[in-house]
Amino acid sequence: MAAAEEEEDDYLAMSFDEPGSKQGKETSIQRTARVKREAAERGRVPSKRELADREKTARDLALATQLDASNKGAKMMAKMGFKGGALGKSEDARTQPIEVMLKDDRGGIGMDSEKKRKIREAAAEMDGQQKRRKVGEVEYRERTRNEREERRAEGQMWSAMRTLEGFETGAVASENGDDDAAEKANGERKDDTDKVTNTERKPLHSINILWRPLVKQRLEKERDRRMRYDLDQSLSSRTDYEDPDADQDDKLALGTQIEELDEDDPELEALEAMSFAERLGKIIEELREKYHYCFWCKYRYPDAAMKDCPGVTEDEHG
Amino acid sequence: MADGEQKSRFKRQKMTDEREDRANPYLAHMYNSEQDSGVGLSDGYSNGHRNGASNGGTSALASLKRHATTAAEVKVAENGPTNPFNGNNLSDRYFGILKTRRGLPVHAQRQEFLDMYQKSQILVFVGETGSGKTTQIPQFVLYDDLPQSQGKMVACTQPRRVAAMSVAQRVAQELDVKLGEEVGYSIRFEDMTGPKTILKYMTDGMLLREAMNDHDLKRYSTIILDEAHERTLATDILMGLLKEVVKRRPDLKLIIMSATLDAQKFQKYFLNAPLLAVPGRTHPVEIFYTPEPERDYVEAAMRTVLQIHATEPEGDILLFLTGEEEIEDACRKINMEADEMVREADAGPLKVYPLYGTLPPAQQQRIFDPAPAPFKPGGRPGRKCIISTNIAETSLTIDGIVYVVDPGFSKQKVYNPRIRVESLLVSPISKASAQQRAGRAGRTRPGKCFRLYTEGAFKKELIDQSYPEILRSNLASTVLELKKLGIDDLVHFDLMDPPAPETLMRALEELNYLACLDDEGDLTALGKLASDFPLDPALAVMLISSPEFYCSNEILSLTSLLSVPQLFVRPAAARKRADEMKDLFAHQDGDHLTMLNVYHAFKSPAAQDNPKQWCHDHFLSFRALQQADNVRLQLKRIMEREEVELVSTPFDDKKYYENIRRALVAGFFMQVAKKDTSGKTYVTVKDNQSVLLHPSTVLGQDSEWVVYNEFVLTSKNYIRVVTAVKPEWLLDIAKTYYDVDSFTKGEVKTSLQRVKEKMDRRAAIGGGRR
Repeated sequence: MAAAEEEEDDYLAMSFDEPGSKQGKETSIQRTARVKREAAERGRVPSKRELADREKTARDLALATQLDASNKGAKMMAKMGFKGGALGKSEDARTQPIEVMLKDDRGGIGMDSEKKRKIREAAAEMDGQQKRRKVGEVEYRERTRNEREERRAEGQMWSAMRTLEGFETGAVASENGDDDAAEKANGERKDDTDKVTNTERKPLHSINILWRPLVKQRLEKERDRRMRYDLDQSLSSRTDYEDPDADQDDKLALGTQIEELDEDDPELEALEAMSFAERLGKIIEELREKYHYCFWCKYRYPDAAMKDCPGVTEDEHG
Repeated sequence: MADGEQKSRFKRQKMTDEREDRANPYLAHMYNSEQDSGVGLSDGYSNGHRNGASNGGTSALASLKRHATTAAEVKVAENGPTNPFNGNNLSDRYFGILKTRRGLPVHAQRQEFLDMYQKSQILVFVGETGSGKTTQIPQFVLYDDLPQSQGKMVACTQPRRVAAMSVAQRVAQELDVKLGEEVGYSIRFEDMTGPKTILKYMTDGMLLREAMNDHDLKRYSTIILDEAHERTLATDILMGLLKEVVKRRPDLKLIIMSATLDAQKFQKYFLNAPLLAVPGRTHPVEIFYTPEPERDYVEAAMRTVLQIHATEPEGDILLFLTGEEEIEDACRKINMEADEMVREADAGPLKVYPLYGTLPPAQQQRIFDPAPAPFKPGGRPGRKCIISTNIAETSLTIDGIVYVVDPGFSKQKVYNPRIRVESLLVSPISKASAQQRAGRAGRTRPGKCFRLYTEGAFKKELIDQSYPEILRSNLASTVLELKKLGIDDLVHFDLMDPPAPETLMRALEELNYLACLDDEGDLTALGKLASDFPLDPALAVMLISSPEFYCSNEILSLTSLLSVPQLFVRPAAARKRADEMKDLFAHQDGDHLTMLNVYHAFKSPAAQDNPKQWCHDHFLSFRALQQADNVRLQLKRIMEREEVELVSTPFDDKKYYENIRRALVAGFFMQVAKKDTSGKTYVTVKDNQSVLLHPSTVLGQDSEWVVYNEFVLTSKNYIRVVTAVKPEWLLDIAKTYYDVDSFTKGEVKTSLQRVKEKMDRRAAIGGGRR
């Protein structure tokens, strides 16, 4: 019974390879593996570098080890009356052998200490960099905050543009439906395409400069969509494929002529040169002047006095 | 017309130069033939003296009173007409040289020198290279010390063999005597002295060896240690020794000669000995530093040389680099660039000469060639550029150098007892060396020195004085010598700069393992015998024990081969061919055996027919082999004297090479490495250093265990000159060192244990059978 149990233990140990049992007894497979590994280690030809390292280690170790009293010569010296210290009669005799220094390059006198000095300097340099990195951290935070504010201003600008567009195109009719209108302006609106068709009728440059980018952006989007659509639909041609045989009429007929959106628009360029915050300010001003609408209050006041509106800036609105 | 004029001027120029060369003591050995043929220079000096010379019998020295002479008296004696030392008539050349000698800076202070020399037992003399101190001071001493009257000699030590030889030759000429008679020299493996010798130039190592058998150096009345500022190992030991000897021998006089730099240190060490300084003939040198450290000093050096050539007025350039390869490379590149400058920028001709120790002497002489003449009369001046190791820093004087380029490095020996490595490493020079180098620019006229480092680096990075050799060397043979010199308390031996205690520790340990010293630190019989050989203890022990392995003839040859510089020549232009030639001699068991094969081939009749040509054809250094031959002869004499048997195993015996390899182990068992398990690297036994076989090795097969002659430290650790051995031999021949239990745990220990078990088992079986 006990034997059977032992057998069972053994079996378990083999099949599951419990971590505990490994240390106790080495199985034949493990042993074979170990022997193989060790043989490989022994048989492996060490690289020149390893050999050189080994050589150096052994040498340095031996050079640092003083001959001790067990040395036969030391015993003989003791019999001659040597009691440690130096030999001879002069007081400044040496007690240690001259150091062995191997020179393995052609560096001139002072080159080694120069190298050490450079290493020291490099270390100092690294310290400096760390300090600078700390300075950099402050800069980084500043920069990310600026970027974040910029992005926010951009979002608000587009939002204000859509509001203005709403007023200009008469999409926002009611005085108090502006909340909704504003809300809707922020989202992707389903009637975008309708708007395109509306505004498309007007040439781009005739649209109020303050919300012209909005229209342009929409047109670009529409064009891309149409191109994608055409690509899907037609087998004959890709819109960006120039058919050498097709003349101007063919192009018109196939609708491949790309609408020129990238025409020169100095007015727009001037606007885009301004920062988002500045552009936002301009739009807000326009809204207040023309429609007595406060972008921050989200309310269209009845008159130019715009009573109850705390001010022009966002800050003033708390 | 103009052509002829130029030619004659050129001729005249050449002649003067030759005369200057003759006056150069470092070139003396070039003109030795003359001495015997007696061809003097006809420089207009009257031969009247010779005619008047007749009374050869009475010496002019008779009137001189020892240690009480004056410069004036000596002058009379020097004027002849007979040679006061041998009674011969003085030659014309003698008087020619005498005139030049009297113009040397030291001569102006001859009386001052005599006063101090006579008053004091020890004197520190300071004079820059070229002041004439090496050639003149010993002669000044000779005329006052009169050693022949005491049956003694004057010794003057030199750190280098070549200097000892050529200065002796020069001084023999100056004294108008035959080299080897009154004036001689003694260097390792070569003794050029005779019974008449009264002035002996010798290497400092030789004087040290003499002191071993004559602790009080009784045969000398005055000892001059020249170039003491170089602080060679032997000079340092000699100073320590002589400091003691002068106490025992009040009649011995000692002069320490040095270049200015650490004169006070010598004075202090020698108990405030008086100092005499002779100013050198030097001109101011302006020093320039670079504003920035140089990225590549070789490149910067070449750039600077070319810039000097392009912009600076006439004057030769001396550039210091570290080693042969670097120098040859720079020579090639500067030559190329200079040719282009000549073509494109109308620059004057530039001749580039290398200079380093292993350069053949004939090529070394070329540095004394005059600078090239301008391409056309009145054209931009030509100049020479010498690219040298630090030999040109102190030991050699080249006139005409006006610009010195100093990158600030040199190859210096380094020893570390902890890893037991003795190697030449490129290291920064000292401030003293830098000053010495700069000084080389001001020998002829005011000069400029361009240091390729910043002024700040000069002040902060360079040490004040170079480390003396004793701090950079393995002291095993020095300790053996000191023991033989009778110095038992090595710990308190008063050296000027005592080495680190660990260095002594290692040396004692090595000698103990070699059984040259017992556990008490006393010389053993083997140690005494080993110290008789002018060899490293390991080599000496190997040689002494070689008869046990029936191969002392072969080990004698091998020891000689290991005592001389590089045998194999491997010119950059013909590396492949040189390697092929080397392969002809290759023995698969290693480099030692290969060297032996070379020697045997060299001694074969076929090679001896025309040995020079044979060496040239086989890319071997004739000089090195010749030298080895000479060394072998000297060592053989010592062996015969000491009754070390000379035996050989028959060449056809299959144990012929094995016996040699076993004998190698007897000396070099502490320089053994075992192959790493990775199979790529070796590990040194006991020190556990990871090393690679030097690429020059011929060791063919996979050798698990090797003995090596040298552990070279470069950007990699190399062992050079290796031969395969068997681990059983290590355990058998060097039992104490290979006491397996004393090894630290590791691969080497495990292998040795296995081998030991196997050996024990075999011994047990053998014993059972018996």
